[in-house]
This record gives sequence, C-alpha cells and structure tokens, in this order.
Amino acid sequence: MANKSSRRDFVRRSAALVAGAVILPQIIPSSAFGMGRRIAPSDRLVIGSIGTGSQGMSNMMDFLKLKGAVQFVSVCDVDSLRLAKAKETIDLEYKNKDCRIYGDYREFLEKEKLDAVSIALPDHWHGIIYTAAVNKKINVYGEKPICRTIKDGQTIVAAVKKNNIIWQTGSWQRSLFNFRRGAELAINGRVGKLKYIEVGLPNGNKGIGTPPVKPVPPELNWEMWLGPALKVPYRGVSHWDWRWILDYSGGQLTDWAGHHIDIANWGAGLEHTGPVEISGKGVYPVEGIFNVPVEYDFLCKYSNGIEMRVANASRLPLGMGTTWHGDLGWVHVDRGDIISASDPKILNEVIGENEIHLYKSDNHWQNFVDCVRSGKPAIAPIEVAYRAISVALLGEIAMTTGQTIKWDPEKEEIAGNEKATHLLSRPYRQPWALPTV
Amino acid sequence: MGITNSLIRIDMKKQFIILAAVLSLLTFFSACKKENGYKTLIITGQNNHNWKVSSPILKQILDETGLFSTDIMTTPDKGGDMKQFNPDFSKYRLVVVDYNGDSWSEKTNAGFVDFVKNGGGVVIYHAADNSFPLWKEYNEMTALGGWGDRNQKDGPYVYYKNDKLVTDTSAGNGGSHGKRREYIVRTMITDHPITRDLPQRWLHGTDELYSQLRGPAKNMEILATAFADSAAGGGTMRDEPMLMTILYGKGRIFHTAMGHADEGGGPAMQCAGFITTLQRGAEWAVTGEVTQKIPWDFPTSAGVTLRPDFKETTLEEAFQNIGNYDIAKSTRNLSCIQNKIRSLAGDTQGLLSLEKSMVKVLTDKSASVEGKKLLLRELSWMGSDYCLTAVKDLVSNTDLKDEAEFTLSRLKK
Repeated sequence: MANKSSRRDFVRRSAALVAGAVILPQIIPSSAFGMGRRIAPSDRLVIGSIGTGSQGMSNMMDFLKLKGAVQFVSVCDVDSLRLAKAKETIDLEYKNKDCRIYGDYREFLEKEKLDAVSIALPDHWHGIIYTAAVNKKINVYGEKPICRTIKDGQTIVAAVKKNNIIWQTGSWQRSLFNFRRGAELAINGRVGKLKYIEVGLPNGNKGIGTPPVKPVPPELNWEMWLGPALKVPYRGVSHWDWRWILDYSGGQLTDWAGHHIDIANWGAGLEHTGPVEISGKGVYPVEGIFNVPVEYDFLCKYSNGIEMRVANASRLPLGMGTTWHGDLGWVHVDRGDIISASDPKILNEVIGENEIHLYKSDNHWQNFVDCVRSGKPAIAPIEVAYRAISVALLGEIAMTTGQTIKWDPEKEEIAGNEKATHLLSRPYRQPWALPTV
Repeated sequence: MGITNSLIRIDMKKQFIILAAVLSLLTFFSACKKENGYKTLIITGQNNHNWKVSSPILKQILDETGLFSTDIMTTPDKGGDMKQFNPDFSKYRLVVVDYNGDSWSEKTNAGFVDFVKNGGGVVIYHAADNSFPLWKEYNEMTALGGWGDRNQKDGPYVYYKNDKLVTDTSAGNGGSHGKRREYIVRTMITDHPITRDLPQRWLHGTDELYSQLRGPAKNMEILATAFADSAAGGGTMRDEPMLMTILYGKGRIFHTAMGHADEGGGPAMQCAGFITTLQRGAEWAVTGEVTQKIPWDFPTSAGVTLRPDFKETTLEEAFQNIGNYDIAKSTRNLSCIQNKIRSLAGDTQGLLSLEKSMVKVLTDKSASVEGKKLLLRELSWMGSDYCLTAVKDLVSNTDLKDEAEFTLSRLKK
C-alpha cells in the first residue's frame, strides 16, 4: 500500500515531466518483428536506461558514442531532475523530443519495448530490478556489483539462464588491454604455478557524522529510492553516498569487487567457482551513519590451494590492482594502463597458438551490442560477475561475524554456521519481494 | 544431628571468616597492584601550553589503564630557583615530560640522563619537544624538536615525502604548525608493539599539526605521520612525524607530537587515538611490550572519536545508553556492541549473553524506537530463539513493524 501511494506521490511530483512523454514508441525494436532477442547487424539496438545518476549517465554516454549502433528511447529514475537531464542529453543527441521518461521501473518495463536496457542503481535495488528486466527477456547491461547479497545474486543468475538473454556486467576493465594481457600471462603460467593473489581496492571513505532529518527535496521520490530497504527518514544522504551505508552497499569493497577481484578470477581460472574458506578483519567507523568498513583485509582459500588476499590498497605492497603470484614471479595490473612484473621479461612473453587466449574486447559497450546481435555471450557474463561479488560478500560476512567462514562453492552454502548463513540474504521491506524466476 | 549442625555452623562461620579474610586480602592486593603500577612521574610546572589542564589529564589517562601509578611534580615557576627541583628519579619506571621552560639544575639533568641510560622509560609529550634546545642529551632523547632557535645546527628535518623517508639537512628554523585542524594520522610501522593492529589511517581531533621538527634524529623510528596539507593552513605538504620511538642507552622514549591542551583537554586530548597511543607508548617505554588491547572506539579514517571523560565506554554503559538513541545522536553505543559481537567470533554463550541484553532494551518501554531499530538489525542475524518472543511482540508496534518483520524473516521464524 505504501508503495502505491508513493507512486502517486511521484506522479504528482513529476507530473509536468510525465505529461511531456510520448506514449507510443516511434522506434520499434527489431526484436518486436519476430526475430527473437537478436537484431540484425544493420539495425539499431533500441535501448533504455534505468538509473540516470553518475554511472548511469556515464554508461549512456559510452553507448551514445557508438552512434548508429544504438537508439536510446527512454529513461527511468526516481529523481525528476536527473530524469530531465537524461532526457535532455538524449534529445540533444537525436535532435528531437522523443525520449520517454518514467519514475517507476515497473511502468517502464511494462510499456517499453526494448532490445536492451542499461541499469545503474544503488545495490539494494539490483536484485529486484535486474530480475524483473531479465524476466521481460530484455538484454541487460548491468552495473556491478550485480547484487547486495548472495541470494539476490543467485536469483539474478537463475533468471538470466532461464530467459537466455545477453548479460553484460559493467566490469569494463575486462575490455582494456593491460588487464587482459596480465590475466593471460597469469593463466598461461608465465609466473609459474599460481599460488597467491593480492587484490587491492580503495581505502575507505570519510564519514559524514550523524546528520539530522531533512525535508526530502521535491525532485526525489524517497519512498521509491528506499524501495526494498528498511525505511529510514531522509537525512540528506541518497545519491552517491548510499555507497557508505550497509543497508544499500558494502562500501569500496563491494563496489570494486566487480573490477579487481573480477580480473583476479579471470587470470586465475576462478571465475566459475568460489573460495572454500574466508577469514579476515574490518575496521568499522565508530561514529556516524556511514557504517561500511573503512579498512578491510581478508584471505580466501580455494580448493586448488590458491589463496587470494583482498584488502584496502594501503595494506598491500603494490597497492591498488590485482597481483598474481606464482612460484616463478608475479604480474601486477591496475588502472592507468599499468602492467608490471617481477621480471620485465615476463611482459614480453608471447602466448602460443595452443595456449589459453582470453576473450578479447576493446570496447565494453560495443561488445554488449555485438553480442546482442550475434547471440554470443558478452565478455562479462552474469555468472562470473556473481562469482566476483561473492568473494567480497563472503569477506563481508567473515568480518561481520569475526569468524572463519566455510563456503561450498558448488552448493553455494555456508557450512555449519547458522548465524553467518542468515547474512547470505537480506529481507525486503513489504510489499517488495524478489520476482520469481 | 544437633552436634553436626553446630559443627556445620562453626564450619560455615569459619568459612565465612576465611572468605572474608581472603576477600580483604584480595582487596588489599588489588589496591597494592594499583599502588604498585609502574611508578610514573609527570614533570610539569612551566610550559607555553596550559600544563595545569594537561598534566592531571595525562595522569588520569595513564592511571586509567591500571598499569601506572602516577605522581605529578611541578618545578618552580619561571625564573624560580631550580635547585629546589630535585626529583628522585630512582623511584620511578617512567617519566612523562609535560614541560617547556627554564633549564633544570645540572644535578637534575644528570640524574635524568642516568635514569634513561639505565633503562628508565620516557614519554615526551607535545611541547616538551620544544624544551631545552641547548641540552644535548635531552635532544637526543626527543630526537626531533622545534622552536627555541632550533635550526640546521641542531640536526636535520625528518619527514616522509611521497612515501619516502627524508633526512633533510637544508637550512631553516625548526618547528611550525598551521591552523589547528582535524588531521589524518597514518600508521607507518604496523608491526611495532605500540601500533600493532591500529587502523592504518585515523582522524585525530582538532590539534596543532607539528611540522618541520628537526634534531639529532638518532635511534629513532617514526611510527606514524600526518600530512600537513597547505589548504588547511600553512602546511608543509610533507608527512610529518607524529609518533616516534627513540632508544637512548638502555632507555626507551615514546615521543608524541600530538595532544595540544585546550580547556577540558579539548579535542586533541579527548581524542581516543591520542589517548590510546599515549597509553600504549607509555607501556612500551617501560617494558618494551604492549599488553593493552586496541579499544573499540579507536578512531578510523571515517571520523574523530572523542572521550570527554577520557574513559572508554564499557559494554554495560553502551547497553544503558542505546535506549536513548535517536536520529542525529552519536552512534557510538551501537558501535561498541557491534565491536563486541565481532570480537566474540561466534562464541555461542557470549552472543546469547549479548542477545539477552538486547532483548532487555527491546522490552523496555522507556527505550527509544530508534535504539530498538538498531538492535533489531543486529538480532536479524545473530539472534537465536531467545529473542523471538520479544521480536514477535514488536510486529504489532507500528513504529517497529518493518524492523521486527525484517528480523523474523532473516531468522526464518
């Protein structure tokens, strides 16, 4: 019920904007002509966007750069100012007024006929909206981390499998040369037999203290922003800063898992499995509503003997990025085209024809479009995204409980620890629920 | 039966007497233990800083640990007869210098040097590193100092620049600080007894950020630094030494450049980071080891933690106070409880005991709705059957319905 009234609230608040929306789609997706979810190479991929914050807009710009490959037709957000800005950006690109806007993703998914949707939302919304979009058989470019909890992740993975859509995770480092090259050197044994991986993620964020309750700005549908999360009064914290509150995110750790842990898994052949034992420590703020760990350091052991240490960067000798250590040396990769090795000769190694050649993509957004056309899996499919964020979420559980967690990566269960098992899921506030797959 | 009874009575009486005797002995011993904590002498009496505020606080901070038994001794006032100042250093294990003023007598100086050379511990606190610019041995103990016409003749500047330790012999005055501000302290040596298990970065309460200290810098380790950025007012753009250890003879010196005293100590002295590092540094100076645990309220990079009463909040206090929690109030009581949960590492009995304390708050009609919401989030995963009745009762409470349902759903009850 609360949900319905909030929807009315939003409609009222953004009535002026919605009134301007065109109801009938002018661009008809190719998939509407009985071609299934694939589209012909000559056709534009009809795409919409849910979430028009910094990452949503960044993705939109990257798609728009592909020019004729995509046609943005609609956007959805709970912030009417952001929505207006997104529409303006798209209309400016196409020199028309056609971009349709929505304040409620359900209406968006119901009315829009899309080949693909680009989704960039706070993590606590991922489970519901990713699953709902996939259930509509729309191809998804979804931001990492793909879930706030293991259970959300399992649901999304199942939905993607069942609906057989193309999924691309926003783990765009996979489409950069240095990361692929580093991973390829590691997986082909150029550092010897892999023993140990270090993953350095950003140091924690500054706090904000304990701000008082503030009026909700008229452009923001706060009830819908919260959605399945526990209701809290608005305190001036929503966009961007949700990253530092455990109700919505796990902090830098879960934010960056989809980058450097994902790359670590790629180069170690661990992208379809998970650790069997996780232990470590976090440093948590004492004061304030930002409550994610500001420092973290945990060790994951894998059944094949490999160990992976994940920590905030200043705890590690090489800082940010991924370092694969083998019995013959190491290779390190990080943003800024960084690739280095214990011996520079390693970096000149040629990967032979019969060795492992990793999936090659030079543009993450183009790769998604290409795969929607070809029906081939994208470079960052849902299962590997789930395995990357699982590492961070299990680390979070180990730090929250102060315990060593035993994880079965096949059954995807925590062994012999009921309390830790409770942390694998996060109940949704009624009436919200994960869609059934 | 009667006889047995009376025998038992006598026995019980005897037992009681023995018990009472044991108890009083225990009390005596524990009093002795406190009395027998490491005898510590705080020297003060002159300072360009408010020593009348800082010295009693330093005593409280040290004695709070139960490890030290601290005396405060004041020198004569400025211009007074220093021959009157004759501390018997041999009675002490630790000397804390909260002094920046006239030279002591040669005899006192010699006594202090002997004390340290023979293994006495020293804490150099804040402006004490300004003191005695001409006393060679003292400057070797502080390793780095400022003001008092210190310049290149006194030794190099020492600091970190771009993560590299720099010993800089360039000409210039020693000692400066920009505007007072909160600043991030960075742990540079993580495996020293004083800094082991501390956060790598923590925000210190508003303080002077001592910069451009210079001195002999011999046998010194820099445990922690702070970046003196220029934006915040007159910074050097260097990572300046904040916590140092120095070896002198057989003695150990802990030097903290932090802790500028305002009225009531102020944020620099109330900072749990200042307090904890001082307590740990003092113990290390005496024994070379640190037995104290890192307190739950040690600050992090996310924010300053102040202790207005210089004491660590106990778990019992946290449970008493969490019932008063409301929006925009301090979250520290919850943090104390969460820290306890983590440190129990799954210990069933310990967690059950916490759960019982939580249920007490949930069933307390005078406890705040917001405090109960915080506890329900914790119970949602670490709760057992014990909390179910109390949580189910809250489902009918409109203010707590969502949180109660959240908890029951997660506990799968």
